[in-house]
Amino acid sequence: MNRWMVLLLSLMVTSVFAHGHSEHTLGTEADSIKSSDKTYHQSISMIRKMHPEFLNHKRDKTLRQGVRTEEYSLSGCVTCHASKKDQSNDYHAIDASEQFCSDCHQKVAVTVDCFSCHRTTPAEGVK
Amino acid sequence: MDNTINRRDFIKATTATTAGVATLGAGITLTTYVNANENPVTNEKRWGMLVDTNQLTESDIDGMVSACQKEHGWGDEIHSTGDQKAGWIKKVKVKDTATQRISNLALMCQHCDEPPCVDVCPTNASMKREDGIVLVDKHLCIGCRYCMMACPYDARSFVHEDLTDQKEHMPRGKGTVESCTMCVHKVDKGEQPACVSSVKSDAVIFGDLYDATSKINQTLKKVQSTQIRADLNLNTGVRYSGI
Repeated sequence: MNRWMVLLLSLMVTSVFAHGHSEHTLGTEADSIKSSDKTYHQSISMIRKMHPEFLNHKRDKTLRQGVRTEEYSLSGCVTCHASKKDQSNDYHAIDASEQFCSDCHQKVAVTVDCFSCHRTTPAEGVK
Repeated sequence: MDNTINRRDFIKATTATTAGVATLGAGITLTTYVNANENPVTNEKRWGMLVDTNQLTESDIDGMVSACQKEHGWGDEIHSTGDQKAGWIKKVKVKDTATQRISNLALMCQHCDEPPCVDVCPTNASMKREDGIVLVDKHLCIGCRYCMMACPYDARSFVHEDLTDQKEHMPRGKGTVESCTMCVHKVDKGEQPACVSSVKSDAVIFGDLYDATSKINQTLKKVQSTQIRADLNLNTGVRYSGI
């Protein structure tokens, strides 16, 4: 009986970790930054936890005060974290299933409403 | 990776970021002057436009409309019909009933100093920047369309359908109100609005109304100009001459 329990538990644990497979959806540009051993974000755990606040703060500054710096701009997120399709040179929509944003957001069941208005791929002409 | 941040880590990281910005700031003082996007806009400027209807031809206006569509990506809505269609900038014919004289004008958001759309907005989504540009904060817009009712120029439109492939600088989405932004994304970079640069002649001038050395300020001092519905005392940023 205990053996079965161990097997069941280990299966459950593996499935949880299997779900957190954010590696291959990191995004084309972000992948190349990572593989060249550079860092863009000072603290990844901070970005993971705080990105909604950072983005909300930035959007108000941009829209209402005209502050258009690169830091915490949503288009900046998309530019790095969108992944190219295997066959063509086009990008997947960043909010599509299995892509960078939805990878976590689906898991924790939090709706992303950014992309009903914002562009989901890097700007036109970015290849 | 540990996903939790304790307070100490947060403060440490924030301080590091601040220090980084400060050092960077010292190094790039020169660029800051050219590209003042790091600093909030101020009311030392007031962006405005002067449309000379005597010089502006009908094809100029069509060019302005298509330049605006191309810049912001509106006009391709499939499901919207008639009045539902987006119209950030329109060609308006004005006819003098006595003399039958027809003038054409390009009509868009007039970027009022005292905008009625801002007065009526229940969520503060309709807003005026310090430099006089009137915008919709679509993050806050609930789509009530009071502002569309309040606007004397019929300058605003409502997005009735799901959109994809928006321009990077111009997020647009179903359920929000939109209008001319005076190409704020270009103005912040020191460029001219798309419609202004589409006109080859001097029929449309864009610039800082307060700056005595600007072309628009000097022209407004010289020529007779008017505001549309000046009786409403909205003090518009877009002025017209020749009507």
